[in-house]
Amino acid sequence: MIKFTSLLLIAIGLYGILSTRNVIRILVGINIMEIGINIFIVAMGYVSDGAAPILSVDSPGSLLKYVDPVAQALVLTSIVIGLGITALGLVFARRIHSKYGTYDLDSIGGDS
Amino acid sequence: MMLNPVLLIAIPLGLAFISVIFSKVKAWFLVVGTIACSVLVFFVESGETAIGGFRLPFAISLVVDDYTMIAVATVNILLLAVLAVSYKKASAYSTVLLAGLAGLNGMVMTGDLFNLFVFMEITAISAYIISSEGKKPEKSFNYLVIGSIGSVLYLLGLILLYGIAGTLNMAEMSEMIPGLTATAVILPVFLIFLGISVEAKLLPMSGWVRGVLGNSNSFTGPILATVYSSAALFVFGRLFSQILVMEKAISTVIVIIALITFISGQAAAFRSRSIRKVLLFSSIAQAGLAAALFVTGFVFPAVLVIVNNAIGKFVMFATAGRLDEEYGTDDYIGLRGAFCSNIVAGSAFTISALSITGIPLLFGFYAKLNVLAAYLNQGTYFVPAVILAGTVIEAAYFIRIIIRLWAPGREGEQADASESVGARKIFSFTEGMAVVIAALLIILSGILPDSAGKLIGGEKGLLGDEGPVISMTSMKGDSE
Repeated sequence: MIKFTSLLLIAIGLYGILSTRNVIRILVGINIMEIGINIFIVAMGYVSDGAAPILSVDSPGSLLKYVDPVAQALVLTSIVIGLGITALGLVFARRIHSKYGTYDLDSIGGDS
Repeated sequence: MMLNPVLLIAIPLGLAFISVIFSKVKAWFLVVGTIACSVLVFFVESGETAIGGFRLPFAISLVVDDYTMIAVATVNILLLAVLAVSYKKASAYSTVLLAGLAGLNGMVMTGDLFNLFVFMEITAISAYIISSEGKKPEKSFNYLVIGSIGSVLYLLGLILLYGIAGTLNMAEMSEMIPGLTATAVILPVFLIFLGISVEAKLLPMSGWVRGVLGNSNSFTGPILATVYSSAALFVFGRLFSQILVMEKAISTVIVIIALITFISGQAAAFRSRSIRKVLLFSSIAQAGLAAALFVTGFVFPAVLVIVNNAIGKFVMFATAGRLDEEYGTDDYIGLRGAFCSNIVAGSAFTISALSITGIPLLFGFYAKLNVLAAYLNQGTYFVPAVILAGTVIEAAYFIRIIIRLWAPGREGEQADASESVGARKIFSFTEGMAVVIAALLIILSGILPDSAGKLIGGEKGLLGDEGPVISMTSMKGDSE
């Protein structure tokens, strides 16, 4: 279920990017996509009723009872990268605004 | 003594952080880092190096073999050449370039699919920042948006593959792929293909190229069109010729997409009048050609195409960028006779253009011969026909530019220097040297293709068992 929800989020984000010409809204769309993919990665490694992947006294006997730690490690990295991209995107948005006085890509025009 | 390949990532990354602290001398860090990496490349230990003290399939690994050697060497030496041509502009981006170099070296050497994603993002972020040198923030923003969509698609494909195969290690993955059902793998492979085509400039995702490279200067043009895109193509080759090897039906679809990229790139280049636009569309076309070769499994010809294109486009983008800065235009009609006062730069540009087209006695001829022979030996006639058709268009637009830039007069009349656009020096001595050395390299490797091929192919060669080697000496032997 959660996998489908996350794929839906990716689709919503993609739709947002493609349907608007406002720089800030496009960045919001990118972020929604990234949240979607991050949830998808975590959902991929989830085991229902699984334990946290830490060895302790009362840890389950079978290795199959653990939640996959790799997916969680991947998500951490992916979140950080997403943050970097968003920050850089906002810098470009700021530059677009200070150069053209608008966030709307359509009114910049003059595309050659 | 052989060095740990991780140094090629650690040195530039470390220097990038230090250069933030000592920002007054950051240009020195860039020079030291780039030269150090270009030298160290030849001393790295080959084989698979595990990182972090874990055992191999579990650790992130760096792979150094003949293929990655040529990739890393190309990337580092080209970056050094770009520095020589546009040191002043590049030094303002020292930190970004050093971080980018770490990312580039990492992405061609890594043996882990997720690690590849991380390095690709580091590289991409530095590329976005470099592209903003063009003073058109909306173009850089467009690049960033397409790049982000690409990276999400790549990540989605990667995680689906991880869910199916249970590993992220490339070597382990390449062993598992043939055992998996094709229908399960086809979606992730296409998503990864789309993700990587952003940087490799392949068709569905190459929309950013026009805005970014069309406004490039003598620094951003060479660096994005040669260094970054060569690295991306080498990664593409590694993924699609060694790891995600698909059944013929699926790979044919990717080959067709790549060939459409090739032909439409050539056609768009033919339509353009701005030299930089011609060059960028030609780069897209060459990327399509290399991708088609990789997916068919012809690694050696593809590497020849990438190297030939990288050296040639380095010279041409640098020249075109300088022409634009000096004359204020890069429309080749407005630049008539510009090479009359820049004979050295003009000659280097001409040699590069002819080499990319594939004129005999230049390196490009050897590359194209290998490409065509690879397909003909296999008994495929359709693809060589497409490539030859593309080459005809390519020759037409390059020769058109070359003639305009050398001969200011009208057709059939004797040209007079007074008709040219005016004498201006476009390169200083040191900048000119880098361009001249690149052009000499093209001629030298064109005259001695066998040695150049051996140098690129490595000791064992990239060819595998049945790959074609067009040896000039053996051809002579055949005719006797």
